[in-house]
Amino acid sequence: MGKFTKGQIEYFLLKLHSLTGLVPIGAFLILHLSLNALRTVGVLPYQLSIDALNNLPFLIWIEVSVIYIPLLFHSIMGFYVFTIAKSNVFKYSYPRNWMYTLQRVTGGVVFVFLVYHVGTTVAPKLWFGHHLFDAAPFLIDVMNDTFTTWTGRTIYLIGILSATFHFANGLWGFCISWGIVIGPQAQRNAGYAFMLFGLVLSVMGIATVVEFSLHPVSVQPTFGGTS
Amino acid sequence: MMEALIQLKIKRQDSPDSKPYWEEFTLEHKPSANIISCLQDVARNPVNRSNQTVPPVVWESNCLEEVCGSCTMVINGRVRQACTALVDQLQQPIVLEPMSKFPLIRDLQVDRSRMFENLKKVQAWIHIDGTHEIGVGPTIPEKQRDKSYVLSECMTCGCCLEACPQFTLTNNFMGAATFSQVRLFNMHPTGAMEKEERLEAVMGEGGIAHCGNAQVCVEVCPKNIPLTESIAEIGRQTFLQLLKNLFLK
Ligand code: HEM
Ligand code: SF4
Repeated sequence: MGKFTKGQIEYFLLKLHSLTGLVPIGAFLILHLSLNALRTVGVLPYQLSIDALNNLPFLIWIEVSVIYIPLLFHSIMGFYVFTIAKSNVFKYSYPRNWMYTLQRVTGGVVFVFLVYHVGTTVAPKLWFGHHLFDAAPFLIDVMNDTFTTWTGRTIYLIGILSATFHFANGLWGFCISWGIVIGPQAQRNAGYAFMLFGLVLSVMGIATVVEFSLHPVSVQPTFGGTS
Repeated sequence: MMEALIQLKIKRQDSPDSKPYWEEFTLEHKPSANIISCLQDVARNPVNRSNQTVPPVVWESNCLEEVCGSCTMVINGRVRQACTALVDQLQQPIVLEPMSKFPLIRDLQVDRSRMFENLKKVQAWIHIDGTHEIGVGPTIPEKQRDKSYVLSECMTCGCCLEACPQFTLTNNFMGAATFSQVRLFNMHPTGAMEKEERLEAVMGEGGIAHCGNAQVCVEVCPKNIPLTESIAEIGRQTFLQLLKNLFLK
């Protein structure tokens, strides 16, 4: 380790912010929305996917190192980036400036949503000691309850759409910041491609909310709760 | 129908730390008037709408043909050069404000030295012969010359920075113009000798990583410089430099 200047550290942290948005956080978002969309296929495959996750060895270590630390880092840096700039979208109302502003707003919304989301799922699961095969019935019931009200549905729709926009638009920005997409035409095309990508993620999320709202089904532990 | 009179509403400030205030002027309409000619009329007869004689409005200008960048100001809410802002194409009253992202000197005059300091940081020039001759430079292919020419049209006016949400009066972001100049001098065969130094400079404080891709710069650049392309290109060059620093040094 040589000595680094303040500027080099700043550059490195900003690049790390950008990278963590893609991996692992973005990768996790894809996985998370896909696995939850299994609920639209059937409650059994969905339950099995929860069982599989909750039975991963060293789960807590995986969660902390692959999700919580990168997410916290990305969020803190995100708020820092947010505060040193000042949106001027009402003065210069170009579409890209709107996306820039929305990137920051949705970041904040996702953060608030995640506090609520983790607070109502993971936190009580750990608190009440649901693990292994017990987790699925507990978590599925939490979701069934949430989606009986329009408040719950609205919170989730806003949270999911904010996350998918933030991720899809963030990927577009990533491709430019890292010099993967360069020319103006290529940047425009990439914009359309990521819009489509964001749309697919959104549809998966919305479908899951709809399925939970229309057909709440409680389940028993896969192996009769013997764990 | 042309208006018989011109209404000017100017945001004024007497000194760097005094309070800004608005002052209105009514001028006679002249054919083909631009904002500079209006400001000259104000200077000739500095009487405001309430008939008070006031100190003439201060502004900067030089070339009067949109190549020097010094008369840049915010006209009807949009940053541009006063010399090419034709009165007949503007909505009245015409609102003039100084740029907000640079330290104010007086009235419409601001201090743009931050841009020049940044150009120095990235060595936005080509080294020529020093104590010994470095010889004749290689011939530049026409296609590359064509690309370079557009980039070389930057007049350090500051429009791209005034309109950039990441560039503020208090932070140290370098901004689009600087990155575009890094690209220009890095693509020149002789300039490329200092490529690494330039990249290291934008991989530091206020550098390229602060760009948030709001892309307003490219919308307001009066020279139509492909700034977002320059930013992506420097994004690539700095990323490759980072890999080199991490794994090859
Ligand atoms: C939790 C609160 C969050 C905040 C406050 C936040 C904030 C931000 C901000 C301000 C940017 C723009 C950076 C820039 O353009 O320079 C950004 C970029 C990004 N964010 Fe987030 N974010 C959050 C959560 C997330 C989540 C959950 C994801 C994953 C889906 C994510 C993925 C990304 C990506 C991929 C980028 C693009 C990076 C780039 O521009 O190179 N963020 N985030
Ligand atoms: S890049 Fe364009 S807007 Fe920016 S300083 Fe140069 S000429 Fe002005």
